[in-house]
Amino acid sequence: MKGYLKYFSGKLAWFLVTLVAAFILNFILPRLMPGDPVAIITQRVVQGMTSQAGVQKVYEQYAELFGTNKPIHEQFIIYMRNIVQGNFGLSFSQYPRPVADILKSSIWWTIALQFPAIIVGWLLGNTLGALAAYLKKGFDKVLMPISIFISNLPAFGMAVILLVIFAVRLKWFPTAGGYGFDMIPNFSWDYIKSVLIHYQLPFWSIVLISIGGQAIGMRAMSIYELNADYVKYSRFLGIKDRKIIGYVFRNAMLPQITGLALSIGTMVGGALVAEIIFSYPGLGSTLLTAVMGQDYPLISASTLIITLMVLIANFLIEILYGVIDPRIKAAQVE
Amino acid sequence: MKKRLLFVLSFVLIFSMFLTACQPEEVEEVVEEVEEVVEEVVEEVVEEPEVEEPEEEEPVAAGPDLDPAEVAASLPREETLYIAGLQWSAVVGWNPYSSANNNAMGVAAGNNARVPIFETPYMYNMINGEQIPLLADGDWEWNEDMTEATFKIKEVAKWSDGTPVTAEDVAYTWATHVKYETTAGVGYGEYIETVEAVDPLTVVVKAKLDEEGKAVNPLLVKAYISSEYVVQKAWTETLEARAGGDATALKEDPAMDFVSSGPYTKFYDDDQKVVFIRDDNYWGQDASMFGSLPVPKYLAHTIYADNNAGFLALKAGEVDVSQQFNANVQDLWLVDNLPISTWMDDAPYGLTASLPTAYFNLESYGLDNIAVRKAIAYAVDYDTIIANAMTNQSPTFDQVPRSVMNPTAGEQALYDQAAVADLQWVGNDIEGAKAILDEAGIVDTDGDGWRELDGQKLSYNAVCPNGWSDWQAAMEIVAAAGEKIGIEITTLYPEWGVYQTVFVNGDQQEYDIFMVWSDGAGPTQPWGRVRQLMYSKFAETQGNWNGNWGGYINPRIDEIITEIPATTDQARLVELYTEATEIYLTDIPSFTLMYRPDQFYTVNESVWTNYPSADDGRNIPPMNLLDGYSIAGLYELELVNP
Repeated sequence: MKGYLKYFSGKLAWFLVTLVAAFILNFILPRLMPGDPVAIITQRVVQGMTSQAGVQKVYEQYAELFGTNKPIHEQFIIYMRNIVQGNFGLSFSQYPRPVADILKSSIWWTIALQFPAIIVGWLLGNTLGALAAYLKKGFDKVLMPISIFISNLPAFGMAVILLVIFAVRLKWFPTAGGYGFDMIPNFSWDYIKSVLIHYQLPFWSIVLISIGGQAIGMRAMSIYELNADYVKYSRFLGIKDRKIIGYVFRNAMLPQITGLALSIGTMVGGALVAEIIFSYPGLGSTLLTAVMGQDYPLISASTLIITLMVLIANFLIEILYGVIDPRIKAAQVE
Repeated sequence: MKKRLLFVLSFVLIFSMFLTACQPEEVEEVVEEVEEVVEEVVEEVVEEPEVEEPEEEEPVAAGPDLDPAEVAASLPREETLYIAGLQWSAVVGWNPYSSANNNAMGVAAGNNARVPIFETPYMYNMINGEQIPLLADGDWEWNEDMTEATFKIKEVAKWSDGTPVTAEDVAYTWATHVKYETTAGVGYGEYIETVEAVDPLTVVVKAKLDEEGKAVNPLLVKAYISSEYVVQKAWTETLEARAGGDATALKEDPAMDFVSSGPYTKFYDDDQKVVFIRDDNYWGQDASMFGSLPVPKYLAHTIYADNNAGFLALKAGEVDVSQQFNANVQDLWLVDNLPISTWMDDAPYGLTASLPTAYFNLESYGLDNIAVRKAIAYAVDYDTIIANAMTNQSPTFDQVPRSVMNPTAGEQALYDQAAVADLQWVGNDIEGAKAILDEAGIVDTDGDGWRELDGQKLSYNAVCPNGWSDWQAAMEIVAAAGEKIGIEITTLYPEWGVYQTVFVNGDQQEYDIFMVWSDGAGPTQPWGRVRQLMYSKFAETQGNWNGNWGGYINPRIDEIITEIPATTDQARLVELYTEATEIYLTDIPSFTLMYRPDQFYTVNESVWTNYPSADDGRNIPPMNLLDGYSIAGLYELELVNP
């Protein structure tokens, strides 16, 4: 009991320290990029403006508005104050749209695409990997090379292959968008069908890539565990095969769970490729536009979300480990 | 503080108690047969996407009594014109006083102001430089000393709320621009004193005067009346009241309740598309204007992630009008046999109007030497740039010899080509370039293959933004030309965000030869372009987005730039422009690499047809059917299968 408390409070303390550090970095790093976001906005706004003094004035107006003419520590204090009030500020690149509004409209697409894809990929991969380790022979011989091949395809490669084959050549699926180009979102069967059809290619481009890697990892871990002493001992004791397999997979699963947690944490970044190639809405492409446009508030807010997701996923996994595998808790508490 | 700590600790305690309750042993039982569990979950999760509800934003209200989802859950294809290549991220606002609406299909004032929603007094026609009356009635007129421009407002012109458009609206719009320091107010403030309503339908635009009592720049007065929208006074007052007199608040307002005078209004928008709907009460259906409503009921623009996605959609027939650079556009009809066409059937396919230009940084070592600049400019193989980078979507310098003019007939007529013919190089003249360098004594003295000037090797970078593939291809060819004549040129492609903070500083030392676009077509052209290319005042300023980025100084060109706007005599104008061209081609402070359309224009005729084209005699410019007089094309579209 006391051990758990100490373990959890220790984890929680580290969680908070990391969060604060990440928070500061999220603020500083985008601002260290070379370039000047206000100049980008000014350039866009003053296209065709003839007066030089006018251009300067527009620049100064925006610099004042975004506070980029203030010293960085002052900017940080303003930023902190706003964040505490839940205010992410106004986006630079989509000014005057609030950052929160941009995130709100894109993050659900990302989660709805990535979360199921990661889970499905993980489950399929692990099942296949475990089966390969257990069944060996033909199954393993076919699955392994395919897994290695697919998992080594870069994500954009898979997305482009699917796009070219199923959308451009066969025309089974659309090439772009989250729903039909001729649709207005509404709650009709046609619309839902359209969303589902548009969902397929981005979804499978993520699933297929992750299956391979997961299967390879799970297969290796399972083979290792299958040859462990406790397995041989259990067999020697005459314990049923199914029961042993249960033990084996539970042990083999541990590192895989870390992988799952991390991929859930980093799904926003991982969504980028599918989102860009299929013009799918979501946070990944939002973040990319933000980086290209040096949109500090939007970058900071997006990275803050990613940081939080990774940290929370890690934290939960650590907690879960403490429960699933008492050895870890014991080792850390000592 | 203590209390809080206690609270946190007790929370953690309860949480851990809860977790301890789930003993590992029990968990063990729960996961007795992993395979089964895994399989079950697989089944569950695989189904998940099926039940997943799409998350979308509240649809933006399409008007007081219009719910887009009810009116049209799916837009009828035969009533919708799909446009691509303008809008690359979600619309932010509809505010005609703001330049930050990110509403490219709808709200874009400027030389070829986009007029589907808000309207300008005149529409600019880039083909011939005419300003055609829209809200205005008949042509505008200068007074005798060119200090006041007068025009009438059409009596039939109405706002979307049914009230008439008046001269007072025009005057109040300008006053608001000035009062709140909008981009238009700041941009035209140096040239326009006031805009006054003489009577309900008569507008007088008074120019700012210099010490001699002449208009500071009559060209900018002329530009204003076809470049800036007229906004309703009553609605402006509502907006002002909402902003409480604060300039930032006024410009930040997304103006969802706008009142406009144009044929379309907002219907639906989200992160993936923008849709406008026709206003069937539009005043312009009056016989004195268009005589009918525009044909498509909806204008829609899907937001694609990149050029390629837009290109695929064009091929799939999901885009009707594409404002994108589509490489090898002719393959769409020659190879793919698609019903796709461009402004012209043969190269250069479009109407080119701007001059992407490479500037020499005159502060870089050796580039202040005219022989070096000339040699590089002569050696570049422009035909290859045009063939590769532009896939022939630009006339060659044989077809349109280089000057400060764009290829439109109107501008070409403004200079005496014969007078500067010996200065107009075609390029790829390696021997000529070498001879120029040899003659200037710039030779390879140390035998390393590169030429030296006063003992120092000539070595430059050729720079343009990363990802601008046609420009990058052009820069590669410039670098190759350097190698052929013994001048080391390496390419450098920084991100746009970085690039555009460097080249705008007059004293920058980082870029030697760098690419910038040029002004396209507009009411102030080609004067604006001459000024952009060579005006001394721009040199050495920080944050210079206006021109002359290489830092070229020439008092004579400044005089010409000052004289042109007030010159009305055509012969004198030609003299001045010819002299400007002569100076430009002699001193070579920068050099044009290719010609480029103001807007790319590729149309798909699977649903709509009768698009404006070069040979149809209608004189409607290829500007997306939205910009300036190009909107006339919307009234002439026909269905392929009526």
